[in-house]
Amino acid sequence: MKGFLLMLVSFAAIFILLNAGYYKEWFSAKPVQYWSDFLKEKDDTLDQAGILRQRYGVVYTICMRVKDVMIQKKIAHPVILFEPNSFYRDSLHIYPNIHAPEPAVFYYYTGLQGVWTNSPDVGKANFLLMMSKKGIKLQEIKDPRQLKLVLAFYKKYPPSL
Amino acid sequence: MPFLVYLLLLIVYLVSGLGILQLFGLRLKPAYTITLSLLLGIALASFLPFLLQLFYIPLTAFSVFGVLVLGAIMLSIPTVMHIRREGFGGLRASLVPGRVQVQPYEVPFWVIIGFLIFVSVWRCYYLPPTSRDALSGPEAIAEYAFREHTLINSFFKVDLWSTNNQFKSPFLICLQLVYKLAGFPFGQVWLSPIFICIIVFLYNALREKVHPIIVGILLLLFIMTPETYAYTFMILYDYSNMVYMFLGLYFLFAYFSGGDKKNFYFSSLIIGIATYIRSETLALALLFLPPMILAQRRAKLPWKEMAIPDVLFFLPALIGYFLPNGVYIGHYLPVHYDVGALVNANLGDVSPLFKRYGDIVNRLLVSDFAVKLWGYIFFVTAALFVAEAVFVRRFTREALNWLYAIAILYLGLGFLGWLLPMVDLNDTTKRGMFKMLPLCLLYLANNTLLVRLSQNISRWELAPSSPKAAGKPAAAATRTVLTRSGKTVAASGPSGKTAPAGGKPSPAAPGSRRKRKK
Repeated sequence: MKGFLLMLVSFAAIFILLNAGYYKEWFSAKPVQYWSDFLKEKDDTLDQAGILRQRYGVVYTICMRVKDVMIQKKIAHPVILFEPNSFYRDSLHIYPNIHAPEPAVFYYYTGLQGVWTNSPDVGKANFLLMMSKKGIKLQEIKDPRQLKLVLAFYKKYPPSL
Repeated sequence: MPFLVYLLLLIVYLVSGLGILQLFGLRLKPAYTITLSLLLGIALASFLPFLLQLFYIPLTAFSVFGVLVLGAIMLSIPTVMHIRREGFGGLRASLVPGRVQVQPYEVPFWVIIGFLIFVSVWRCYYLPPTSRDALSGPEAIAEYAFREHTLINSFFKVDLWSTNNQFKSPFLICLQLVYKLAGFPFGQVWLSPIFICIIVFLYNALREKVHPIIVGILLLLFIMTPETYAYTFMILYDYSNMVYMFLGLYFLFAYFSGGDKKNFYFSSLIIGIATYIRSETLALALLFLPPMILAQRRAKLPWKEMAIPDVLFFLPALIGYFLPNGVYIGHYLPVHYDVGALVNANLGDVSPLFKRYGDIVNRLLVSDFAVKLWGYIFFVTAALFVAEAVFVRRFTREALNWLYAIAILYLGLGFLGWLLPMVDLNDTTKRGMFKMLPLCLLYLANNTLLVRLSQNISRWELAPSSPKAAGKPAAAATRTVLTRSGKTVAASGPSGKTAPAGGKPSPAAPGSRRKRKK
């Protein structure tokens, strides 16, 4: 009988805890949602690349598109110049949904070198990645003069995360 | 195949960790022995590949798994000697629990805790690492170490202007590498054993102090801290650092209580591991020197006998600090990190220090934001602290130890934020606060009011249902006595039964296994 009463106390304590204030919101938004995700994910046929695409979202997909293009074009040493995120935020107003990855993360995703407009290696950039609401564009930078013009255009937008 | 390697790795950890426990001569309950062995083995697995790198040995599957197995074999020597001395029975007693006494009312707690653990383990396994701090540093280094067989790899040729995560401890990098080599492309699955081990350890540690129902509630409060829970499946340093720092303090306080040097030196090793994971732990560890000296003076140790052990105590932490920071970052990496340049240039102005202390309280402890980070665990702790201060007006020595640790952490984190402005409030300090959670839990387990409540529940539970049947009134079965040290202890227990929790003075070595009669 006492064991039964203590069992009731256990259930009551758990019920109260799971429904107390913010715990209720958190529990349904996180662990319960994660459980639903599990039920879907356990039957998923996604491969590793698919899981990465799903998890990292649009920016990862864009990065991998860049990699595919570089492979198709057989570019030996591609160096991708990213537009500053402050440009996306202040001018195009698409940040943070669309944003340029930092070079370290871009390298992790693709194995390709990326640079900011203020990077020490910016002089090596041979492609410019441009993103907008309309889509993405990879523009080849053919000579230092063109690169200089590109950098001058983005001068008032400092690189940021 | 990866799962087979995963299981084999767990066995390697268990063997290595068990060997380390034997080296320290620690005899603990099976639950403690197994969890600590695994945690020590994981720490070792994060350190040995790093050592290989320091000797420029290529990090291939052969070398990495080879060194782990070799380490396990070498560390199993003390275990083998133990077996030769005491036979397999001694080892079995260390690893196999005797009669497990699980009360039915504990099961609902384990079901919900099991659910939370399962969900976390699945996310660890299925999803890739996502935090920016991991992707722009340790995870990327581990990925290229996997491909290029060295931690000093092509990642360092990338523009790293926007990040300093390449300078983080090799702890995470090496564990990621081990599991990528084992066939888990996202790594991460090493975090789940750490999570499960600390939960099991905490459950047993709390169970020694309070009633299982209170243990269940406290443990749920701990697991359900939203921010910390997220870090059980999101690899970074802070959750692991919390685990090892807590264990270090647990054994340090065990030394304070019982004076057993084994606990002292074991604590030193664990705090060394915590420092290897996060270097600022060294500063926090140094702040435990005063209570250490106080405990030793209380035990009437002469100064000479105190000085050398106290210096030795910090040796593992110093190694854990200088090997990754001084040696590896300073002399191996192609890019360098000038920590001196990060120090606050205006140390004469202490107003930011007090502002930081205020911000920690206002933003990280009592705000709406704080509730979203930690749930209500700090509020519960504060309420019971005030209640104990008002109604009991004294704290047990164990409770004071944990309260001191909480205060030191608060003061230390604030000080670090002032000394190094890059230690920002919303990220670094916030994650540093993880360490406060198990401290709160252990304080609560030593809170006199909760201990008394536990005793009352246990007494009621164990008393015969019918007073007549027992031959005496149920209420007279036990009597609670407040000792001079502020402990509440049961003066006498119901005959033939052991109270599930509370009611007995803390053992000198927590969880220490009593010798069984043959």
